[in-house]
Amino acid sequence: MTADERRARLRYLVVATLSPLAILGVWWLVAARGLASPIVLPPPSAIWASFVDMAANGYSGVSLWTHVGASLARVSVAFLGGAALGVALGLLRGRSRMIDAVLLAPSELLRPIPPLGLIPLFILWFGIGETSKVLLIFLSVLLIMMVNAQAGVRATSLDSLRAAESMGANRWQVFRFVVLPSALPQVMTGLRVAMGTALTILVASELLGGDRGLGFLILDASSFFRTTYVFAGVAVIGLIGLATDRALAWAGRNIVHWEGRR
Amino acid sequence: MILAARSVAPAEPAPTPPAPVVETLPPVLKFEKVGFAYDGRTIMRDVSFSVAPGELVCLLGPSGCGKTTILNMVAGFLRPTEGAAIVDGREIVGPGPDRGVVFQAAALFDWMTVAENIAFSQRCAGVRKAKRREVAREMAALVGLTGFEDAYPYQLSGGMRQRVGLARVLASKPKVMLMDEPFSALDVQTRETLQEEVLRIRDRTGCTILFVTHAIDEAVFLGDRIFLLNDLKTGAFDAFDVALPAPRCSPENRLHPSFLRLRETIYRRMRH
Repeated sequence: MTADERRARLRYLVVATLSPLAILGVWWLVAARGLASPIVLPPPSAIWASFVDMAANGYSGVSLWTHVGASLARVSVAFLGGAALGVALGLLRGRSRMIDAVLLAPSELLRPIPPLGLIPLFILWFGIGETSKVLLIFLSVLLIMMVNAQAGVRATSLDSLRAAESMGANRWQVFRFVVLPSALPQVMTGLRVAMGTALTILVASELLGGDRGLGFLILDASSFFRTTYVFAGVAVIGLIGLATDRALAWAGRNIVHWEGRR
Repeated sequence: MILAARSVAPAEPAPTPPAPVVETLPPVLKFEKVGFAYDGRTIMRDVSFSVAPGELVCLLGPSGCGKTTILNMVAGFLRPTEGAAIVDGREIVGPGPDRGVVFQAAALFDWMTVAENIAFSQRCAGVRKAKRREVAREMAALVGLTGFEDAYPYQLSGGMRQRVGLARVLASKPKVMLMDEPFSALDVQTRETLQEEVLRIRDRTGCTILFVTHAIDEAVFLGDRIFLLNDLKTGAFDAFDVALPAPRCSPENRLHPSFLRLRETIYRRMRH
Protein backbone atom coordinates (compact mmCIF):
# COMPACT_ATOMS: atom_id res chain seq x y z
CA MET A 1 0.00 0.00 0.00
CA THR A 2 1.40 3.39 -0.96
CA ALA A 3 1.38 6.41 1.37
CA ASP A 4 -1.42 7.95 -0.68
CA GLU A 5 -3.57 4.84 -0.43
CA ARG A 6 -2.94 4.69 3.32
CA ARG A 7 -3.99 8.30 3.71
CA ALA A 8 -7.14 7.70 1.63
CA ARG A 9 -8.00 4.70 3.76
CA LEU A 10 -7.48 6.61 6.98
CA ARG A 11 -9.71 9.42 5.69
CA TYR A 12 -12.38 6.84 4.84
CA LEU A 13 -12.25 5.36 8.35
CA VAL A 14 -12.45 8.80 9.97
CA VAL A 15 -15.49 9.83 7.90
CA ALA A 16 -17.18 6.44 8.39
CA THR A 17 -16.79 6.88 12.17
CA LEU A 18 -17.70 10.56 12.30
CA SER A 19 -20.93 10.21 10.31
CA PRO A 20 -22.82 8.10 12.91
CA LEU A 21 -21.37 10.25 15.70
CA ALA A 22 -22.75 13.34 13.96
CA ILE A 23 -26.20 11.75 13.72
CA LEU A 24 -25.98 10.90 17.40
CA GLY A 25 -25.01 14.50 18.13
CA VAL A 26 -27.98 15.95 16.24
CA TRP A 27 -30.25 13.45 17.95
CA TRP A 28 -28.88 14.42 21.37
CA LEU A 29 -29.37 18.11 20.55
CA VAL A 30 -32.97 17.62 19.44
CA ALA A 31 -33.77 15.61 22.60
CA ALA A 32 -31.86 17.95 24.97
CA ARG A 33 -33.66 21.05 23.66
CA GLY A 34 -37.01 19.37 24.22
CA LEU A 35 -37.95 19.51 20.52
CA ALA A 36 -39.46 16.01 20.75
CA SER A 37 -41.28 14.27 23.55
CA PRO A 38 -39.09 11.65 25.32
CA ILE A 39 -41.75 9.01 24.57
CA VAL A 40 -41.36 9.62 20.85
CA LEU A 41 -37.62 10.31 20.74
CA PRO A 42 -35.78 9.68 23.99
CA PRO A 43 -32.28 11.16 24.34
CA PRO A 44 -29.35 8.80 23.62
CA SER A 45 -28.34 8.89 27.27
CA ALA A 46 -31.70 7.43 28.38
CA ILE A 47 -31.36 4.65 25.81
CA TRP A 48 -27.87 3.90 27.05
CA ALA A 49 -29.24 3.75 30.61
CA SER A 50 -31.91 1.25 29.51
CA PHE A 51 -29.29 -0.80 27.76
CA VAL A 52 -27.12 -0.86 30.88
CA ASP A 53 -30.18 -1.81 32.93
CA MET A 54 -30.99 -4.71 30.57
CA ALA A 55 -27.40 -5.83 30.48
CA ALA A 56 -27.32 -5.94 34.28
CA ASN A 57 -30.85 -7.09 35.14
CA GLY A 58 -32.18 -8.64 31.95
CA TYR A 59 -35.55 -8.00 30.35
CA SER A 60 -38.82 -9.63 31.44
CA GLY A 61 -36.98 -11.99 33.72
CA VAL A 62 -34.50 -13.19 31.12
CA SER A 63 -30.93 -11.91 30.70
CA LEU A 64 -30.21 -9.68 27.69
CA TRP A 65 -27.62 -12.17 26.48
CA THR A 66 -30.22 -14.94 26.45
CA HIS A 67 -32.38 -12.74 24.20
CA VAL A 68 -29.42 -11.98 21.94
CA GLY A 69 -28.40 -15.65 21.94
CA ALA A 70 -31.91 -16.86 21.05
CA SER A 71 -32.11 -14.43 18.12
CA LEU A 72 -28.60 -15.19 16.90
CA ALA A 73 -29.28 -18.91 17.05
CA ARG A 74 -32.42 -18.54 14.91
CA VAL A 75 -30.69 -16.28 12.40
CA SER A 76 -27.56 -18.44 12.17
CA VAL A 77 -29.37 -21.71 11.61
CA ALA A 78 -31.76 -20.17 9.08
CA PHE A 79 -29.02 -18.19 7.33
CA LEU A 80 -26.56 -21.07 7.00
CA GLY A 81 -29.25 -23.51 5.88
CA GLY A 82 -30.96 -21.07 3.54
CA ALA A 83 -27.69 -19.91 2.02
CA ALA A 84 -26.40 -23.45 1.47
CA LEU A 85 -29.59 -24.69 -0.18
CA GLY A 86 -30.22 -21.42 -2.03
CA VAL A 87 -26.71 -21.32 -3.51
CA ALA A 88 -26.92 -24.99 -4.48
CA LEU A 89 -30.29 -24.54 -6.21
CA GLY A 90 -29.18 -21.29 -7.87
CA LEU A 91 -26.03 -22.92 -9.24
CA LEU A 92 -28.04 -25.86 -10.53
CA ARG A 93 -30.57 -23.53 -12.15
CA GLY A 94 -27.74 -21.63 -13.77
CA ARG A 95 -26.20 -24.80 -15.19
CA SER A 96 -29.25 -26.81 -16.18
CA ARG A 97 -32.10 -25.44 -18.26
CA MET A 98 -34.40 -28.24 -17.09
CA ILE A 99 -33.84 -27.58 -13.39
CA ASP A 100 -34.39 -23.89 -14.09
CA ALA A 101 -37.67 -24.71 -15.82
CA VAL A 102 -38.83 -26.77 -12.83
CA LEU A 103 -38.00 -24.08 -10.25
CA LEU A 104 -38.83 -20.92 -12.19
CA ALA A 105 -42.54 -20.55 -11.50
CA PRO A 106 -42.57 -21.81 -7.89
CA SER A 107 -39.72 -19.58 -6.77
CA GLU A 108 -40.86 -16.49 -8.64
CA LEU A 109 -44.40 -16.90 -7.26
CA LEU A 110 -43.00 -17.18 -3.76
CA ARG A 111 -40.51 -14.34 -3.96
CA PRO A 112 -42.83 -11.31 -4.03
CA ILE A 113 -44.88 -12.55 -1.05
CA PRO A 114 -43.90 -10.52 2.03
CA PRO A 115 -42.80 -12.80 4.87
CA LEU A 116 -45.34 -11.14 7.14
CA GLY A 117 -48.06 -12.42 4.83
CA LEU A 118 -46.80 -15.96 5.35
CA ILE A 119 -46.94 -15.81 9.14
CA PRO A 120 -50.57 -16.96 9.50
CA LEU A 121 -49.89 -19.92 7.19
CA PHE A 122 -46.71 -20.84 9.01
CA ILE A 123 -48.52 -20.75 12.33
CA LEU A 124 -51.11 -23.09 10.85
CA TRP A 125 -48.54 -25.46 9.41
CA PHE A 126 -45.68 -25.38 11.90
CA GLY A 127 -47.17 -23.88 15.06
CA ILE A 128 -45.77 -20.91 16.96
CA GLY A 129 -42.53 -22.58 18.08
CA GLU A 130 -38.99 -22.34 16.78
CA THR A 131 -39.76 -24.13 13.51
CA SER A 132 -41.96 -21.35 12.15
CA LYS A 133 -39.50 -18.61 13.12
CA VAL A 134 -36.48 -20.35 11.60
CA LEU A 135 -38.33 -21.42 8.45
CA LEU A 136 -39.54 -17.88 7.77
CA ILE A 137 -35.98 -16.54 7.80
CA PHE A 138 -34.66 -19.63 6.00
CA LEU A 139 -37.10 -19.15 3.14
CA SER A 140 -36.21 -15.50 2.60
CA VAL A 141 -32.46 -16.23 2.64
CA LEU A 142 -32.94 -19.18 0.28
CA LEU A 143 -34.80 -17.12 -2.32
CA ILE A 144 -32.28 -14.29 -2.24
CA MET A 145 -29.31 -16.65 -2.52
CA MET A 146 -30.90 -18.65 -5.32
CA VAL A 147 -31.34 -15.55 -7.48
CA ASN A 148 -27.80 -14.35 -6.77
CA ALA A 149 -26.11 -17.69 -7.38
CA GLN A 150 -27.96 -18.15 -10.66
CA ALA A 151 -27.03 -14.65 -11.81
CA GLY A 152 -23.45 -15.42 -10.78
CA VAL A 153 -23.37 -18.50 -12.99
CA ARG A 154 -24.58 -16.38 -15.90
CA ALA A 155 -21.64 -14.03 -15.31
CA THR A 156 -19.23 -16.78 -16.43
CA SER A 157 -17.55 -15.59 -19.61
CA LEU A 158 -17.96 -17.70 -22.73
CA ASP A 159 -14.24 -17.53 -23.43
CA SER A 160 -13.28 -18.90 -20.02
CA LEU A 161 -15.75 -21.79 -20.47
CA ARG A 162 -14.31 -22.50 -23.90
CA ALA A 163 -10.76 -22.20 -22.60
CA ALA A 164 -11.48 -24.78 -19.90
CA GLU A 165 -13.15 -27.19 -22.33
CA SER A 166 -10.32 -26.89 -24.83
CA MET A 167 -7.87 -27.74 -22.04
CA GLY A 168 -9.68 -30.99 -21.41
CA ALA A 169 -11.94 -30.08 -18.49
CA ASN A 170 -14.96 -32.34 -18.07
CA ARG A 171 -18.38 -31.03 -17.00
CA TRP A 172 -17.60 -31.25 -13.30
CA GLN A 173 -14.18 -29.64 -13.70
CA VAL A 174 -15.67 -26.80 -15.75
CA PHE A 175 -18.15 -26.26 -12.93
CA ARG A 176 -15.64 -26.55 -10.10
CA PHE A 177 -12.78 -24.55 -11.61
CA VAL A 178 -14.57 -21.98 -13.79
CA VAL A 179 -18.30 -21.59 -13.12
CA LEU A 180 -18.09 -21.65 -9.32
CA PRO A 181 -15.31 -19.04 -9.03
CA SER A 182 -17.06 -16.89 -11.65
CA ALA A 183 -20.26 -16.96 -9.58
CA LEU A 184 -18.51 -16.22 -6.27
CA PRO A 185 -18.50 -12.39 -6.42
CA GLN A 186 -22.25 -12.32 -6.86
CA VAL A 187 -22.73 -14.98 -4.17
CA MET A 188 -20.70 -12.96 -1.68
CA THR A 189 -22.75 -9.83 -2.42
CA GLY A 190 -25.91 -11.92 -2.11
CA LEU A 191 -24.83 -13.12 1.35
CA ARG A 192 -24.64 -9.53 2.57
CA VAL A 193 -28.09 -8.71 1.22
CA ALA A 194 -29.51 -11.93 2.66
CA MET A 195 -28.01 -11.28 6.08
CA GLY A 196 -29.65 -7.85 6.20
CA THR A 197 -32.97 -9.34 5.20
CA ALA A 198 -32.58 -12.19 7.70
CA LEU A 199 -32.23 -9.71 10.56
CA THR A 200 -35.27 -7.77 9.32
CA ILE A 201 -37.37 -10.89 9.22
CA LEU A 202 -36.06 -11.97 12.60
CA VAL A 203 -38.12 -9.26 14.29
CA ALA A 204 -41.18 -10.22 12.23
CA SER A 205 -40.72 -13.91 12.97
CA GLU A 206 -40.59 -13.23 16.70
CA LEU A 207 -44.07 -11.77 16.31
CA LEU A 208 -45.06 -15.41 16.22
CA GLY A 209 -44.92 -15.54 19.98
CA GLY A 210 -42.42 -16.84 22.49
CA ASP A 211 -40.71 -14.99 25.27
CA ARG A 212 -37.13 -14.81 24.03
CA GLY A 213 -35.30 -12.90 21.39
CA LEU A 214 -34.53 -9.33 20.41
CA GLY A 215 -37.66 -9.12 18.28
CA PHE A 216 -39.78 -10.22 21.23
CA LEU A 217 -38.00 -7.66 23.41
CA ILE A 218 -38.69 -4.82 20.98
CA LEU A 219 -42.33 -5.73 20.44
CA ASP A 220 -42.95 -6.27 24.13
CA ALA A 221 -41.32 -2.98 25.09
CA SER A 222 -43.22 -1.07 22.45
CA SER A 223 -46.58 -2.40 23.63
CA PHE A 224 -45.77 -1.00 27.08
CA PHE A 225 -44.45 2.31 25.65
CA ARG A 226 -41.00 1.63 27.07
CA THR A 227 -39.51 3.54 24.16
CA THR A 228 -35.96 3.60 25.52
CA TYR A 229 -35.97 -0.21 25.64
CA VAL A 230 -37.34 -0.36 22.09
CA PHE A 231 -34.48 1.84 20.94
CA ALA A 232 -31.91 -0.17 22.88
CA GLY A 233 -33.17 -3.39 21.33
CA VAL A 234 -33.19 -1.86 17.86
CA ALA A 235 -29.65 -0.61 18.41
CA VAL A 236 -28.44 -4.09 19.38
CA ILE A 237 -29.94 -5.58 16.20
CA GLY A 238 -28.42 -2.74 14.20
CA LEU A 239 -24.99 -3.37 15.68
CA ILE A 240 -25.28 -7.10 14.97
CA GLY A 241 -26.19 -6.19 11.38
CA LEU A 242 -23.24 -3.83 11.07
CA ALA A 243 -20.81 -6.37 12.50
CA THR A 244 -22.00 -9.26 10.31
CA ASP A 245 -22.03 -7.07 7.20
CA ARG A 246 -18.47 -5.89 7.82
CA ALA A 247 -17.38 -9.47 8.49
CA LEU A 248 -19.02 -10.73 5.28
CA ALA A 249 -17.59 -7.83 3.25
CA TRP A 250 -14.14 -8.54 4.65
CA ALA A 251 -14.47 -12.25 3.89
CA GLY A 252 -15.70 -11.39 0.39
CA ARG A 253 -12.71 -9.16 -0.34
CA ASN A 254 -10.35 -11.93 0.71
CA ILE A 255 -12.12 -14.82 -0.97
CA VAL A 256 -12.93 -12.96 -4.19
CA HIS A 257 -9.60 -11.15 -4.30
CA TRP A 258 -9.68 -10.77 -8.09
CA GLU A 259 -12.98 -8.87 -8.27
CA GLY A 260 -12.74 -5.45 -9.90
CA ARG A 261 -9.01 -5.89 -10.55
CA ARG A 262 -9.10 -7.23 -14.07
CA MET B 1 -17.08 -23.91 -58.52
CA ILE B 2 -13.56 -23.46 -57.26
CA LEU B 3 -13.04 -25.71 -54.30
CA ALA B 4 -9.39 -25.45 -53.46
CA ALA B 5 -7.17 -22.54 -52.69
CA ARG B 6 -5.62 -20.72 -55.60
CA SER B 7 -1.92 -20.56 -55.03
CA VAL B 8 -0.44 -17.19 -55.83
CA ALA B 9 3.21 -17.14 -56.75
CA PRO B 10 5.45 -15.17 -54.40
CA ALA B 11 6.20 -11.67 -55.60
CA GLU B 12 9.82 -12.56 -56.20
CA PRO B 13 11.97 -15.73 -56.20
CA ALA B 14 12.36 -16.98 -52.67
CA PRO B 15 15.75 -16.24 -51.06
CA THR B 16 15.44 -19.39 -48.97
CA PRO B 17 12.69 -21.82 -49.97
CA PRO B 18 10.32 -23.00 -47.24
CA ALA B 19 11.30 -26.27 -45.59
CA PRO B 20 10.44 -29.01 -48.08
CA VAL B 21 9.95 -31.79 -45.46
CA VAL B 22 6.78 -30.11 -44.36
CA GLU B 23 5.16 -30.76 -47.72
CA THR B 24 5.68 -34.51 -47.67
CA LEU B 25 4.17 -35.30 -44.25
CA PRO B 26 0.46 -36.10 -44.00
CA PRO B 27 -1.53 -33.01 -42.98
CA VAL B 28 -2.24 -32.53 -39.29
CA LEU B 29 -5.28 -30.41 -40.07
CA LYS B 30 -7.64 -30.76 -42.98
CA PHE B 31 -10.88 -29.09 -44.07
CA GLU B 32 -12.92 -31.02 -46.63
CA LYS B 33 -15.60 -28.96 -48.35
CA VAL B 34 -16.57 -27.39 -45.06
CA GLY B 35 -19.69 -25.27 -44.99
CA PHE B 36 -21.16 -23.34 -42.13
CA ALA B 37 -24.55 -21.72 -41.85
CA TYR B 38 -26.03 -19.96 -38.89
CA ASP B 39 -29.72 -19.10 -38.58
CA GLY B 40 -30.15 -20.05 -42.22
CA ARG B 41 -27.43 -17.61 -43.25
CA THR B 42 -24.46 -19.08 -45.12
CA ILE B 43 -21.16 -17.97 -43.60
CA MET B 44 -19.01 -20.23 -45.76
CA ARG B 45 -19.25 -23.17 -48.11
CA ASP B 46 -16.93 -25.59 -49.84
CA VAL B 47 -13.86 -24.51 -47.92
CA SER B 48 -10.98 -26.96 -48.32
CA PHE B 49 -7.38 -26.74 -47.22
CA SER B 50 -4.79 -28.70 -45.32
CA VAL B 51 -2.03 -27.75 -42.93
CA ALA B 52 1.19 -29.73 -42.58
CA PRO B 53 2.76 -30.55 -39.20
CA GLY B 54 4.90 -27.70 -37.90
CA GLU B 55 3.41 -25.22 -40.32
CA LEU B 56 2.27 -21.77 -39.26
CA VAL B 57 -0.74 -20.71 -41.31
CA CYS B 58 -2.22 -17.25 -40.95
CA LEU B 59 -5.90 -16.69 -41.67
CA LEU B 60 -6.08 -13.11 -42.84
CA GLY B 61 -9.16 -11.13 -43.69
CA PRO B 62 -11.47 -8.29 -42.81
CA SER B 63 -13.76 -8.71 -39.82
CA GLY B 64 -16.79 -10.82 -40.60
CA CYS B 65 -15.03 -12.83 -43.31
CA GLY B 66 -15.32 -16.07 -41.34
CA LYS B 67 -11.73 -16.52 -40.17
CA THR B 68 -12.72 -16.85 -36.52
CA THR B 69 -15.48 -19.26 -37.54
CA ILE B 70 -12.82 -21.52 -39.08
CA LEU B 71 -10.77 -21.32 -35.89
CA ASN B 72 -13.82 -22.09 -33.76
CA MET B 73 -14.54 -25.15 -35.88
CA VAL B 74 -11.00 -26.42 -35.44
CA ALA B 75 -11.28 -25.75 -31.70
CA GLY B 76 -14.53 -27.74 -31.67
CA PHE B 77 -16.64 -24.83 -30.38
CA LEU B 78 -18.65 -24.94 -33.61
CA ARG B 79 -19.54 -27.91 -35.81
CA PRO B 80 -19.43 -27.57 -39.61
CA THR B 81 -22.90 -27.80 -41.09
CA GLU B 82 -21.42 -29.42 -44.23
CA GLY B 83 -18.21 -31.30 -44.96
CA ALA B 84 -15.65 -32.34 -42.39
CA ALA B 85 -12.98 -30.70 -40.24
CA ILE B 86 -10.26 -33.26 -39.52
CA VAL B 87 -7.36 -33.19 -37.08
CA ASP B 88 -4.79 -35.96 -37.16
CA GLY B 89 -7.05 -38.11 -39.32
CA ARG B 90 -10.06 -37.86 -37.00
CA GLU B 91 -13.10 -35.70 -37.46
CA ILE B 92 -13.41 -32.95 -34.87
CA VAL B 93 -16.44 -33.47 -32.63
CA GLY B 94 -15.73 -31.10 -29.75
CA PRO B 95 -13.09 -29.16 -27.85
CA GLY B 96 -10.02 -31.03 -26.64
CA PRO B 97 -6.51 -30.49 -25.30
CA ASP B 98 -4.97 -31.51 -28.64
CA ARG B 99 -6.17 -28.14 -29.97
CA GLY B 100 -5.32 -25.34 -27.56
CA VAL B 101 -6.72 -21.84 -28.04
CA VAL B 102 -5.06 -18.51 -27.26
CA PHE B 103 -7.90 -16.01 -26.98
CA GLN B 104 -7.96 -12.37 -28.01
CA ALA B 105 -8.64 -11.26 -24.42
CA ALA B 106 -6.43 -14.00 -22.89
CA ALA B 107 -9.42 -15.47 -20.99
CA LEU B 108 -7.22 -16.42 -18.06
CA PHE B 109 -8.71 -17.68 -14.81
CA ASP B 110 -8.34 -14.66 -12.52
CA TRP B 111 -8.83 -16.79 -9.41
CA MET B 112 -5.78 -18.93 -10.16
CA THR B 113 -2.11 -18.04 -10.01
CA VAL B 114 -0.01 -17.98 -13.17
CA ALA B 115 1.30 -21.46 -12.34
CA GLU B 116 -2.22 -22.83 -11.78
CA ASN B 117 -3.38 -21.27 -15.04
CA ILE B 118 -0.49 -22.79 -16.95
CA ALA B 119 -0.93 -26.27 -15.49
CA PHE B 120 -4.74 -26.26 -15.81
CA SER B 121 -4.85 -28.98 -18.47
CA GLN B 122 -2.63 -31.14 -16.23
CA ARG B 123 -4.96 -30.57 -13.31
CA CYS B 124 -7.91 -31.70 -15.43
CA ALA B 125 -5.95 -34.77 -16.48
CA GLY B 126 -5.32 -35.66 -12.84
CA VAL B 127 -1.58 -34.95 -12.81
CA ARG B 128 -0.15 -34.65 -9.28
CA LYS B 129 0.60 -31.26 -7.78
CA ALA B 130 4.40 -31.51 -7.66
CA LYS B 131 4.50 -32.54 -11.31
CA ARG B 132 2.11 -29.72 -12.26
CA ARG B 133 4.36 -27.24 -10.50
CA GLU B 134 7.28 -28.55 -12.54
CA VAL B 135 5.37 -28.23 -15.84
CA ALA B 136 4.32 -24.70 -14.90
CA ARG B 137 7.91 -23.72 -14.17
CA GLU B 138 9.13 -25.20 -17.43
CA MET B 139 6.42 -23.51 -19.51
CA ALA B 140 6.84 -20.19 -17.70
CA ALA B 141 10.52 -20.32 -18.64
CA LEU B 142 9.63 -21.10 -22.26
CA VAL B 143 7.49 -17.96 -22.59
CA GLY B 144 9.68 -15.71 -20.44
CA LEU B 145 7.56 -15.65 -17.27
CA THR B 146 10.08 -17.05 -14.82
CA GLY B 147 9.57 -15.49 -11.40
CA PHE B 148 5.89 -14.73 -11.99
CA GLU B 149 4.54 -18.22 -11.23
CA ASP B 150 2.80 -17.14 -8.03
CA ALA B 151 1.38 -13.87 -9.36
CA TYR B 152 -2.30 -13.51 -10.21
CA PRO B 153 -3.30 -12.56 -13.78
CA TYR B 154 -4.64 -9.16 -12.69
CA GLN B 155 -1.16 -8.27 -11.48
CA LEU B 156 0.29 -8.70 -14.98
CA SER B 157 0.46 -6.44 -18.02
CA GLY B 158 -1.51 -7.27 -21.18
CA GLY B 159 1.52 -8.72 -22.89
CA MET B 160 2.39 -10.93 -19.94
CA ARG B 161 -1.19 -12.15 -19.73
CA GLN B 162 -0.95 -13.32 -23.33
CA ARG B 163 2.32 -15.07 -22.46
CA VAL B 164 0.38 -16.98 -19.80
CA GLY B 165 -2.25 -17.76 -22.43
CA LEU B 166 0.48 -19.17 -24.67
CA ALA B 167 2.12 -21.14 -21.88
CA ARG B 168 -1.11 -22.75 -20.73
CA VAL B 169 -1.81 -23.98 -24.26
CA LEU B 170 1.74 -25.23 -24.77
CA ALA B 171 1.57 -27.11 -21.47
CA SER B 172 -0.90 -29.60 -22.93
CA LYS B 173 1.41 -30.21 -25.92
CA PRO B 174 -1.32 -29.63 -28.51
CA LYS B 175 -1.15 -30.91 -32.07
CA VAL B 176 -2.45 -27.57 -33.26
CA MET B 177 -2.25 -24.26 -31.48
CA LEU B 178 -5.09 -21.87 -32.39
CA MET B 179 -4.51 -18.17 -31.96
CA ASP B 180 -7.45 -15.80 -32.33
CA GLU B 181 -6.09 -12.28 -32.89
CA PRO B 182 -4.16 -12.71 -29.67
CA PHE B 183 -2.07 -9.56 -29.94
CA SER B 184 -4.59 -7.14 -31.44
CA ALA B 185 -5.24 -5.38 -28.13
CA LEU B 186 -1.55 -4.84 -27.33
CA ASP B 187 0.69 -1.89 -28.09
CA VAL B 188 2.94 -2.13 -31.16
CA GLN B 189 6.19 -2.86 -29.30
CA THR B 190 4.65 -5.60 -27.17
CA ARG B 191 2.90 -7.06 -30.18
CA GLU B 192 6.12 -7.29 -32.20
CA THR B 193 8.02 -8.81 -29.29
CA LEU B 194 5.33 -11.44 -28.86
CA GLN B 195 5.24 -12.18 -32.60
CA GLU B 196 8.97 -12.93 -32.44
CA GLU B 197 8.33 -15.00 -29.33
CA VAL B 198 5.72 -17.10 -31.17
CA LEU B 199 8.20 -17.88 -33.94
CA ARG B 200 10.89 -18.77 -31.42
CA ILE B 201 8.49 -21.06 -29.55
CA ARG B 202 7.39 -22.64 -32.81
CA ASP B 203 11.03 -23.38 -33.69
CA ARG B 204 11.64 -24.89 -30.28
CA THR B 205 8.45 -26.98 -30.01
CA GLY B 206 7.63 -27.74 -33.65
CA CYS B 207 4.02 -26.88 -32.88
CA THR B 208 1.54 -26.40 -35.73
CA ILE B 209 -0.14 -23.02 -35.51
CA LEU B 210 -3.30 -21.55 -37.01
CA PHE B 211 -3.14 -17.81 -36.47
CA VAL B 212 -6.13 -15.55 -37.10
CA THR B 213 -5.36 -11.90 -37.74
CA HIS B 214 -6.62 -8.88 -39.62
CA ALA B 215 -3.17 -7.26 -39.75
CA ILE B 216 -1.28 -7.87 -42.99
CA ASP B 217 2.12 -7.15 -41.38
CA GLU B 218 1.48 -9.70 -38.69
CA ALA B 219 0.43 -12.37 -41.19
CA VAL B 220 3.48 -11.82 -43.41
CA PHE B 221 5.92 -11.75 -40.51
CA LEU B 222 4.53 -14.89 -38.86
CA GLY B 223 3.15 -17.12 -41.57
CA ASP B 224 4.68 -19.91 -43.61
CA ARG B 225 1.50 -19.56 -45.62
CA ILE B 226 -1.22 -16.95 -45.60
CA PHE B 227 -4.83 -17.64 -46.52
CA LEU B 228 -6.45 -14.40 -47.59
CA LEU B 229 -10.13 -14.88 -46.84
CA ASN B 230 -12.09 -12.17 -48.58
CA ASP B 231 -15.35 -13.98 -49.02
CA LEU B 232 -15.80 -17.60 -48.02
CA LYS B 233 -19.30 -17.97 -49.43
CA THR B 234 -17.80 -19.30 -52.66
CA GLY B 235 -15.11 -21.38 -50.97
CA ALA B 236 -12.37 -19.64 -52.93
CA PHE B 237 -9.53 -17.86 -51.25
CA ASP B 238 -5.97 -16.86 -52.10
CA ALA B 239 -3.03 -18.67 -50.53
CA PHE B 240 0.37 -17.04 -50.36
CA ASP B 241 3.66 -18.75 -49.60
CA VAL B 242 5.89 -16.59 -47.47
CA ALA B 243 9.57 -16.68 -48.34
CA LEU B 244 11.65 -14.97 -45.71
CA PRO B 245 15.15 -15.90 -44.53
CA ALA B 246 15.75 -17.92 -41.39
CA PRO B 247 15.75 -17.32 -38.52
CA ARG B 248 12.19 -16.25 -39.07
CA CYS B 249 12.04 -14.56 -35.67
CA SER B 250 14.60 -11.96 -36.69
CA PRO B 251 13.03 -8.48 -36.56
CA GLU B 252 15.14 -7.62 -39.63
CA ASN B 253 12.65 -9.61 -41.68
CA ARG B 254 10.17 -6.78 -41.25
CA LEU B 255 12.35 -4.72 -43.59
CA HIS B 256 13.18 -7.51 -46.04
CA PRO B 257 12.24 -6.77 -49.69
CA SER B 258 10.14 -9.98 -49.84
CA PHE B 259 8.25 -8.88 -46.77
CA LEU B 260 7.50 -5.48 -48.24
CA ARG B 261 6.56 -6.86 -51.61
CA LEU B 262 4.24 -9.56 -50.28
CA ARG B 263 2.63 -7.02 -48.00
CA GLU B 264 1.89 -4.86 -51.00
CA THR B 265 0.55 -7.78 -53.05
CA ILE B 266 -1.82 -8.79 -50.27
CA TYR B 267 -2.85 -5.21 -49.59
CA ARG B 268 -3.92 -4.82 -53.21
CA ARG B 269 -5.91 -8.06 -53.12
CA MET B 270 -7.55 -7.58 -49.76
CA ARG B 271 -11.13 -6.43 -49.74
CA HIS B 272 -11.37 -3.15 -47.89
